[in-house]
Amino acid sequence: MMDPDALLPAIAAGDDQAFEAWLAGAEHRVRLSLRRFAAYVDTEAVLQEALLRVWQVAPRVKADGQHDPLLRLAIRIGRNLAISDLRRARLTPVDVEELERLAASDPGPPEPRVGDPLLRRTIRECRDLLPTKPGLALTARLQNAGTEPDNALAVRLGMRLNTFLQNITRARRHLEDCLRRRGIDLVVELA
Amino acid sequence: MIPPESLQEAALTAWRPQDPVGAIRPHPAWADLDHAGRLALYEATIRARVLEAALNLNGLTPTGRAVMARILRRAGT
Repeated sequence: MMDPDALLPAIAAGDDQAFEAWLAGAEHRVRLSLRRFAAYVDTEAVLQEALLRVWQVAPRVKADGQHDPLLRLAIRIGRNLAISDLRRARLTPVDVEELERLAASDPGPPEPRVGDPLLRRTIRECRDLLPTKPGLALTARLQNAGTEPDNALAVRLGMRLNTFLQNITRARRHLEDCLRRRGIDLVVELA
Repeated sequence: MIPPESLQEAALTAWRPQDPVGAIRPHPAWADLDHAGRLALYEATIRARVLEAALNLNGLTPTGRAVMARILRRAGT
Protein backbone atom coordinates (compact mmCIF):
# COMPACT_ATOMS: atom_id res chain seq x y z
CA MET A 1 0.00 0.00 0.00
CA MET A 2 1.36 3.42 -0.99
CA ASP A 3 2.21 6.02 1.65
CA PRO A 4 -0.78 8.42 1.49
CA ASP A 5 1.40 11.42 2.33
CA ALA A 6 3.66 10.66 -0.64
CA LEU A 7 0.59 10.63 -2.91
CA LEU A 8 -0.75 14.01 -1.82
CA PRO A 9 1.24 16.25 -4.23
CA ALA A 10 0.21 14.16 -7.25
CA ILE A 11 -3.44 14.05 -6.12
CA ALA A 12 -3.45 17.82 -5.57
CA ALA A 13 -2.11 18.19 -9.11
CA GLY A 14 -5.07 16.22 -10.49
CA ASP A 15 -3.46 12.79 -10.96
CA ASP A 16 -6.43 10.40 -10.90
CA GLN A 17 -4.23 7.30 -10.65
CA ALA A 18 -2.63 8.67 -7.50
CA PHE A 19 -6.12 9.34 -6.13
CA GLU A 20 -7.13 5.77 -6.97
CA ALA A 21 -4.12 4.45 -5.01
CA TRP A 22 -5.05 6.63 -2.04
CA LEU A 23 -8.67 5.53 -2.30
CA ALA A 24 -7.72 1.85 -2.09
CA GLY A 25 -6.18 2.47 1.32
CA ALA A 26 -8.62 5.04 2.69
CA GLU A 27 -12.10 3.77 1.81
CA HIS A 28 -12.36 1.17 4.57
CA ARG A 29 -11.35 3.66 7.24
CA VAL A 30 -13.79 6.33 6.07
CA ARG A 31 -16.58 3.74 6.03
CA LEU A 32 -15.76 2.73 9.61
CA SER A 33 -16.03 6.37 10.69
CA LEU A 34 -19.70 6.37 9.58
CA ARG A 35 -20.77 3.45 11.81
CA ARG A 36 -22.78 5.69 14.19
CA PHE A 37 -24.97 6.85 11.31
CA ALA A 38 -25.62 3.46 9.73
CA ALA A 39 -29.19 3.09 11.02
CA TYR A 40 -30.21 6.52 9.73
CA VAL A 41 -28.41 7.24 6.46
CA ASP A 42 -27.28 5.11 3.53
CA THR A 43 -23.57 5.08 4.41
CA GLU A 44 -22.61 3.72 0.96
CA ALA A 45 -24.14 6.79 -0.72
CA VAL A 46 -22.61 9.15 1.86
CA LEU A 47 -19.21 7.50 1.49
CA GLN A 48 -19.19 7.78 -2.32
CA GLU A 49 -20.28 11.42 -2.19
CA ALA A 50 -17.61 12.21 0.43
CA LEU A 51 -14.86 10.58 -1.63
CA LEU A 52 -15.95 12.50 -4.73
CA ARG A 53 -15.82 15.77 -2.79
CA VAL A 54 -12.33 14.95 -1.50
CA TRP A 55 -11.20 14.66 -5.10
CA GLN A 56 -12.83 18.00 -5.92
CA VAL A 57 -11.16 19.90 -3.08
CA ALA A 58 -7.83 18.01 -3.13
CA PRO A 59 -6.04 20.74 -5.16
CA ARG A 60 -6.49 23.05 -2.16
CA VAL A 61 -5.29 20.56 0.48
CA LYS A 62 -1.83 21.21 1.90
CA ALA A 63 0.33 18.91 4.03
CA ASP A 64 -0.03 20.06 7.64
CA GLY A 65 2.61 17.91 9.33
CA GLN A 66 0.04 15.34 10.48
CA HIS A 67 -0.50 11.99 8.80
CA ASP A 68 -2.82 11.72 5.77
CA PRO A 69 -4.72 15.03 5.67
CA LEU A 70 -6.97 13.67 2.89
CA LEU A 71 -8.19 10.87 5.14
CA ARG A 72 -9.05 13.30 7.92
CA LEU A 73 -10.81 15.51 5.39
CA ALA A 74 -12.78 12.55 4.00
CA ILE A 75 -13.93 11.55 7.48
CA ARG A 76 -15.01 15.12 8.24
CA ILE A 77 -16.88 15.50 4.93
CA GLY A 78 -18.54 12.11 5.39
CA ARG A 79 -19.80 12.96 8.86
CA ASN A 80 -21.05 16.36 7.72
CA LEU A 81 -22.92 14.78 4.81
CA ALA A 82 -24.44 12.18 7.15
CA ILE A 83 -25.59 14.93 9.51
CA SER A 84 -27.11 16.87 6.60
CA ASP A 85 -29.02 13.75 5.56
CA LEU A 86 -30.20 13.26 9.13
CA ARG A 87 -31.51 16.81 9.30
CA ARG A 88 -33.23 16.33 5.95
CA ALA A 89 -34.85 13.16 7.36
CA ARG A 90 -36.16 15.33 10.21
CA LEU A 91 -34.70 13.26 13.00
CA THR A 92 -35.26 15.24 16.20
CA PRO A 93 -32.48 17.80 16.86
CA VAL A 94 -31.53 16.01 20.06
CA ASP A 95 -30.89 12.77 18.17
CA VAL A 96 -28.76 14.51 15.56
CA GLU A 97 -26.68 16.31 18.17
CA GLU A 98 -26.21 13.15 20.18
CA LEU A 99 -25.08 11.21 17.12
CA GLU A 100 -22.75 14.04 16.13
CA ARG A 101 -21.23 14.06 19.61
CA LEU A 102 -20.79 10.28 19.68
CA ALA A 103 -19.24 10.20 16.20
CA ALA A 104 -16.79 12.96 17.14
CA SER A 105 -15.73 11.06 20.25
CA ASP A 106 -15.14 7.77 18.41
CA PRO A 107 -11.49 6.77 18.37
CA GLY A 108 -9.75 7.00 15.01
CA PRO A 109 -10.15 3.95 12.80
CA PRO A 110 -7.58 1.18 13.21
CA GLU A 111 -4.92 0.48 10.62
CA PRO A 112 -6.51 -1.77 7.99
CA ARG A 113 -5.36 -5.38 7.74
CA VAL A 114 -7.19 -6.12 4.53
CA GLY A 115 -4.13 -5.68 2.31
CA ASP A 116 -2.60 -8.88 3.72
CA PRO A 117 -1.32 -10.84 0.65
CA LEU A 118 -2.10 -14.24 2.20
CA LEU A 119 -5.68 -13.18 2.92
CA ARG A 120 -6.06 -11.87 -0.62
CA ARG A 121 -4.70 -15.09 -2.14
CA THR A 122 -6.98 -17.26 -0.02
CA ILE A 123 -10.04 -15.19 -0.98
CA ARG A 124 -9.17 -15.61 -4.65
CA GLU A 125 -8.75 -19.38 -4.25
CA CYS A 126 -12.17 -19.57 -2.58
CA ARG A 127 -13.70 -17.48 -5.37
CA ASP A 128 -12.46 -20.01 -7.91
CA LEU A 129 -14.41 -22.75 -6.07
CA LEU A 130 -17.80 -21.02 -6.32
CA PRO A 131 -20.71 -22.91 -7.95
CA THR A 132 -21.45 -21.69 -11.48
CA LYS A 133 -24.50 -19.46 -11.07
CA PRO A 134 -23.46 -17.74 -7.83
CA GLY A 135 -20.03 -17.24 -9.39
CA LEU A 136 -21.56 -15.68 -12.51
CA ALA A 137 -23.77 -13.32 -10.50
CA LEU A 138 -20.96 -12.20 -8.21
CA THR A 139 -18.59 -11.70 -11.15
CA ALA A 140 -21.20 -9.61 -12.97
CA ARG A 141 -21.57 -7.31 -9.99
CA LEU A 142 -17.82 -7.01 -9.46
CA GLN A 143 -17.09 -6.31 -13.11
CA ASN A 144 -19.82 -3.71 -13.29
CA ALA A 145 -18.52 -1.91 -10.19
CA GLY A 146 -21.65 0.01 -9.37
CA THR A 147 -22.18 1.64 -12.74
CA GLU A 148 -25.54 -0.07 -13.43
CA PRO A 149 -28.40 -1.28 -11.22
CA ASP A 150 -28.79 -5.00 -10.55
CA ASN A 151 -31.86 -5.16 -12.82
CA ALA A 152 -29.64 -4.60 -15.84
CA LEU A 153 -27.08 -7.20 -14.72
CA ALA A 154 -29.79 -9.78 -14.00
CA VAL A 155 -31.33 -9.31 -17.47
CA ARG A 156 -27.92 -9.77 -19.07
CA LEU A 157 -27.47 -13.09 -17.25
CA GLY A 158 -31.01 -14.22 -18.08
CA MET A 159 -31.99 -14.24 -14.39
CA ARG A 160 -34.90 -12.65 -12.57
CA LEU A 161 -33.76 -9.92 -10.20
CA ASN A 162 -34.54 -11.92 -7.07
CA THR A 163 -32.75 -15.00 -8.43
CA PHE A 164 -29.73 -12.82 -9.18
CA LEU A 165 -29.75 -11.44 -5.62
CA GLN A 166 -30.14 -14.92 -4.13
CA ASN A 167 -27.18 -16.15 -6.20
CA ILE A 168 -24.97 -13.33 -4.91
CA THR A 169 -26.00 -14.10 -1.34
CA ARG A 170 -25.10 -17.75 -1.95
CA ALA A 171 -21.75 -16.70 -3.41
CA ARG A 172 -20.92 -14.64 -0.31
CA ARG A 173 -21.94 -17.49 1.98
CA HIS A 174 -19.76 -19.94 0.01
CA LEU A 175 -16.81 -17.54 0.17
CA GLU A 176 -17.11 -16.95 3.90
CA ASP A 177 -17.57 -20.70 4.60
CA CYS A 178 -14.55 -21.51 2.44
CA LEU A 179 -12.47 -18.91 4.30
CA ARG A 180 -13.57 -20.28 7.68
CA ARG A 181 -12.52 -23.79 6.65
CA ARG A 182 -9.10 -22.29 5.93
CA GLY A 183 -8.94 -20.66 9.32
CA ILE A 184 -9.96 -17.14 8.26
CA ASP A 185 -12.90 -15.41 9.92
CA LEU A 186 -13.54 -12.03 8.32
CA VAL A 187 -15.15 -10.69 11.48
CA VAL A 188 -11.97 -11.48 13.39
CA GLU A 189 -9.75 -10.14 10.60
CA LEU A 190 -11.61 -6.84 10.68
CA ALA A 191 -11.73 -6.51 14.46
CA MET B 1 -40.60 -5.44 -6.12
CA ILE B 2 -37.80 -6.88 -3.99
CA PRO B 3 -38.89 -9.40 -1.34
CA PRO B 4 -37.89 -8.48 2.24
CA GLU B 5 -35.31 -11.28 2.51
CA SER B 6 -33.42 -9.85 -0.49
CA LEU B 7 -33.44 -6.16 0.51
CA GLN B 8 -30.04 -6.34 2.19
CA GLU B 9 -28.39 -7.97 -0.80
CA ALA B 10 -30.04 -5.44 -3.12
CA ALA B 11 -28.60 -2.54 -1.12
CA LEU B 12 -25.15 -4.17 -0.90
CA THR B 13 -24.37 -3.16 -4.46
CA ALA B 14 -22.18 -0.10 -4.96
CA TRP B 15 -24.67 1.23 -7.51
CA ARG B 16 -26.50 4.30 -6.28
CA PRO B 17 -28.93 6.57 -8.13
CA GLN B 18 -28.07 10.20 -8.77
CA ASP B 19 -30.37 13.18 -8.38
CA PRO B 20 -30.79 15.71 -11.23
CA VAL B 21 -27.76 17.72 -10.08
CA GLY B 22 -25.57 14.63 -9.88
CA ALA B 23 -25.57 14.07 -6.10
CA ILE B 24 -25.46 10.43 -5.01
CA ARG B 25 -28.69 9.30 -3.40
CA PRO B 26 -29.64 6.32 -1.18
CA HIS B 27 -30.44 2.98 -2.77
CA PRO B 28 -34.23 2.45 -2.97
CA ALA B 29 -33.89 -0.88 -1.14
CA TRP B 30 -32.08 0.85 1.74
CA ALA B 31 -35.18 2.94 2.41
CA ASP B 32 -37.23 -0.24 2.80
CA LEU B 33 -34.94 -1.73 5.47
CA ASP B 34 -35.84 -1.35 9.14
CA HIS B 35 -33.43 -0.14 11.84
CA ALA B 36 -31.92 -3.59 12.47
CA GLY B 37 -31.75 -4.30 8.76
CA ARG B 38 -29.76 -1.13 8.13
CA LEU B 39 -27.27 -1.97 10.85
CA ALA B 40 -26.93 -5.50 9.47
CA LEU B 41 -26.41 -4.05 5.99
CA TYR B 42 -23.61 -1.81 7.24
CA GLU B 43 -21.75 -4.74 8.82
CA ALA B 44 -22.35 -6.95 5.77
CA THR B 45 -21.03 -4.21 3.49
CA ILE B 46 -17.78 -4.01 5.45
CA ARG B 47 -17.24 -7.77 5.05
CA ALA B 48 -18.31 -7.73 1.41
CA ARG B 49 -15.96 -4.90 0.44
CA VAL B 50 -12.99 -6.73 1.97
CA LEU B 51 -13.76 -9.75 -0.18
CA GLU B 52 -14.36 -7.60 -3.24
CA ALA B 53 -11.15 -5.58 -2.83
CA ALA B 54 -9.18 -8.82 -2.63
CA LEU B 55 -10.63 -9.87 -5.98
CA ASN B 56 -9.52 -6.65 -7.72
CA LEU B 57 -5.99 -6.33 -9.07
CA ASN B 58 -5.59 -2.80 -7.72
CA GLY B 59 -7.25 -3.59 -4.39
CA LEU B 60 -10.19 -1.35 -5.22
CA THR B 61 -13.69 -2.21 -4.03
CA PRO B 62 -16.75 -1.63 -6.22
CA THR B 63 -17.29 1.51 -4.13
CA GLY B 64 -13.85 2.81 -5.08
CA ARG B 65 -14.36 1.85 -8.71
CA ALA B 66 -17.78 3.56 -8.78
CA VAL B 67 -16.18 6.74 -7.43
CA MET B 68 -13.35 6.57 -9.96
CA ALA B 69 -15.85 6.00 -12.77
CA ARG B 70 -17.75 9.15 -11.78
CA ILE B 71 -14.51 11.15 -11.58
CA LEU B 72 -13.37 9.99 -15.00
CA ARG B 73 -16.83 10.52 -16.50
CA ARG B 74 -16.92 14.10 -15.22
CA ALA B 75 -13.42 14.64 -16.59
CA GLY B 76 -14.61 13.34 -19.94
CA THR B 77 -11.91 10.66 -20.16
